[in-house]
Amino acid sequence: MSGDHSDIVKRLSTVSGLLLIVLVVVMLVGISIGSSGSGVTSLWHIITDPDHADPMLLTIIWKLRLPRVLLAALVGAALSLGGLVFQALLRNPLAEPYILGISGGSAIGAILGILLGLSQFPGITLTSFAGSLTTLLLIIGISAGQSILQKNALLLSGVMVNAFCSAVIMFLVSMTHDARLHNIIFWLMGDLSMGSLQHTGILAMALIPCFVIIFWFSNTMNLMLMGKEMALSMGVNIKRATVILLVTTSLMVSACVSQCGLIGLVGLVIPHLFRLMLGSDHRILFPACVLGGGAYMVACDLLARAIPQHGEMPAGVITALIGAPLFIYLLKRSGR
Amino acid sequence: MKHAITLENIQYSYGRALVLRDITFSVTPGDFFIVIGPNGSGKTTLMKLIAGIAQPDTGMLEILDRPIHSYSRKILARQIAFVPQSVPIDFPFSVKEVVLMGRSPYQGVLGLETKEDIKKMQQAITFTSMTHLADRKMNQLSGGECQRAFIARAICQEPSVLLLDEPTASLDLSHQIRIMDLMEKLKAEKQITIVMVSHDVNLAAMYGNRLLLLDKGRIAEIGPPREVLTYQNLERSYGCTLLVDKNPLGDVPRVTLVPGKFVPK
Amino acid sequence: MRYLLILLLIIQGTIVSLPAWAQNVHVTDLLGRRMAIPKDPVRVVSLAPNITEIVYALGQSHRLVGATTYSDYPAEADMLPKVGSYVHLDLERIVFLAPDLCLAIKDGNPIAAISRLESIGIPVYAVDPRDLESVMDTLSRIGRLLQADKQAKQLVQGMRRRIQAVESLVAKTDHRPGLFFQIGISPIVSVGTNTFIHELIVQAGARNLAEGDIPYPRFSKEQVLGMSPDVIIVTSMARKAVFEKIRQDWYQWTNLPAVKNDRIYFKDSGLFDRPSPRLVDALEILVRLIHPEMFKEPS
Repeated sequence: MSGDHSDIVKRLSTVSGLLLIVLVVVMLVGISIGSSGSGVTSLWHIITDPDHADPMLLTIIWKLRLPRVLLAALVGAALSLGGLVFQALLRNPLAEPYILGISGGSAIGAILGILLGLSQFPGITLTSFAGSLTTLLLIIGISAGQSILQKNALLLSGVMVNAFCSAVIMFLVSMTHDARLHNIIFWLMGDLSMGSLQHTGILAMALIPCFVIIFWFSNTMNLMLMGKEMALSMGVNIKRATVILLVTTSLMVSACVSQCGLIGLVGLVIPHLFRLMLGSDHRILFPACVLGGGAYMVACDLLARAIPQHGEMPAGVITALIGAPLFIYLLKRSGR
Repeated sequence: MKHAITLENIQYSYGRALVLRDITFSVTPGDFFIVIGPNGSGKTTLMKLIAGIAQPDTGMLEILDRPIHSYSRKILARQIAFVPQSVPIDFPFSVKEVVLMGRSPYQGVLGLETKEDIKKMQQAITFTSMTHLADRKMNQLSGGECQRAFIARAICQEPSVLLLDEPTASLDLSHQIRIMDLMEKLKAEKQITIVMVSHDVNLAAMYGNRLLLLDKGRIAEIGPPREVLTYQNLERSYGCTLLVDKNPLGDVPRVTLVPGKFVPK
Repeated sequence: MRYLLILLLIIQGTIVSLPAWAQNVHVTDLLGRRMAIPKDPVRVVSLAPNITEIVYALGQSHRLVGATTYSDYPAEADMLPKVGSYVHLDLERIVFLAPDLCLAIKDGNPIAAISRLESIGIPVYAVDPRDLESVMDTLSRIGRLLQADKQAKQLVQGMRRRIQAVESLVAKTDHRPGLFFQIGISPIVSVGTNTFIHELIVQAGARNLAEGDIPYPRFSKEQVLGMSPDVIIVTSMARKAVFEKIRQDWYQWTNLPAVKNDRIYFKDSGLFDRPSPRLVDALEILVRLIHPEMFKEPS
């Protein structure tokens, strides 16, 4: 049976296999580098000679670096997928995972949580999630007058709601004068450092079903990109697919944002990057975005930790500093 | 099977505007059925209704002698293939990928193509003379080549009926002929019923065996070209002076536009 | 099998960083958390610059193995290994130093970081030095934690004496000049009622012209002119050249009492920007600037 599908299955396995290797390598580098020093060689020693491993290093790796690297991979995968799905659903290359009011709503939710003095988990995570759900419902409500398939309605309401939320955020920030201002700013810049293994596990449990659903619809996304008429005439239930993908992806992105803040540009750049390299077939782009996006995020987080002398840069700065020029370079290379 | 497509008392409105009414006709299997009429007469809407993309307010619509709503979307797609007037090309696929998508009514949700699917894709590409363009991206093709790719995709659906909405609009003359000849080849070699909307009455005359003149949402005339393409029918529907004579290439009418300076006072 | 060994080592590793059982005391910090810490902590990490100052003031700097950046007073503190900043702690560096006690600021260090440290088995004791009174309380608390009760007592008594001296000096006069205390140059920012600087200003016998609900209110030049301050004190981390420019700036407004009487002063912000034992020094400096007439030698 799989011999019959050998062509597409072969391509899927090749892409997945290669990117999986990249991801694992990057993750290993990620857990062997940190602000307390140590290098790849010490990691090698731990694996080959566990009896004499330094317990301090083990604690650091197990409790601090590993959760962080896993979280980065998970968030990178989810945000890249979010961008992929929204670009397909809205048929717009500028779409990114936060476009449907998720950035605005979750930020306001998080800021309110911070101002109320709630703890990161579950307090702020929940308020942030609630915030993004609110704006999502608002946007669906606004654009429901037109059919949900009218992509421009969704897009425009999303942009407007985000703009309004930005104003509210600036207001809240200007009214805050104490230490909570720091917390707000760090949240807005995105922060991968505060996850524990437990939190990352909970997030994974929320995200993995979303990944499965999105993969299930990956071919449907191909068909939907042919336009509403052609997709319908080829047997696609567009309305059902759109609603399911919209809700699933929004929940997926909201979950990430409420845990880690607003890490930008990953969801915009990675799908385009892999589309330039691998073509537009979303069945192939799915593992590319999951594995490649995850690897990219881990690498960016690594650089964010390793480069500065003191302290660390927000991961979102690196994703932008690297992502944008890289994309421009690939665009020129593809001769368009 | 008596009829490929049957419509009876079909009515369709968009908002408060009545777009189509009292539409009753049938298409025989093997027909080259061409719908003509001025802009806004409801031709595209009629195509969408037959393709199952829009639903009529009232009336009966049967495909292959079964009511259209008795088909699931996927099964319907195995009987009817639709080539719309325009297709967005935001994220370009290659010609091969687009044509392969035509197999989706026969595939599972992930659309994992079998060797059989790939063979049919290649056959469709050969049939439409696209072999040398098979690996190009859609946005690198000309209008005519794009159209052939979409027709190849439709062929992959292995339909009984092929619906096309103005397939030759905005194509240059050679491509227009190529597309129309392709339709004839499909009709002859694969026994596919062709139902088409055309803005070019002469092409319709030369290729169609039955024409439908649609005017303000109503059937103005239906039948073989020489019955439909009379200057009374055409002048009434199109609202301009026309000269209708016999086409020197065959026993079909030829319609010529008459510029104002030639109209006798 | 290898995996089991690694797991055992991790467990052992976390236990190693916990203080040994027998020599613990149970304490409750200012966040209301009960914890067990060593009686005699020898690897202490300070998570804020003013805590570092306090530990040095108590003479217990030998216990410190790390501090946050900007722990720059006294000068030796700058040599301590840095563990990130007060708002963005570098957890890895902290864990690497294997501390047996961390000292944090309540409502200052991010609570998430503190929880993470505790989940790794490092006790974190939170204090709350906000103003003169709480600084003294913090001195006592940390003194108790670090076996320095006697030094703490001495320091606190010394501070109280000096504060008392200032208060009795101020009590001798009814004159309360209007003071505009400028902590931000552009935009102009002053201090509201809920700040320790306000408390110092009042104790030093002046009226804080910016008092009000907003802790760090912004003013336009015009608004400050409207207040007609008798004294203007500007603190910042800027260089002398900037001070000169600001002085020229204010001196255009010749109607200001502060300008007429040449009472615009510039002070390095180091003394005024953190609630540390040096607040008493700040207080003494303030009273000299505000009431110079009390310090004139009788001729």
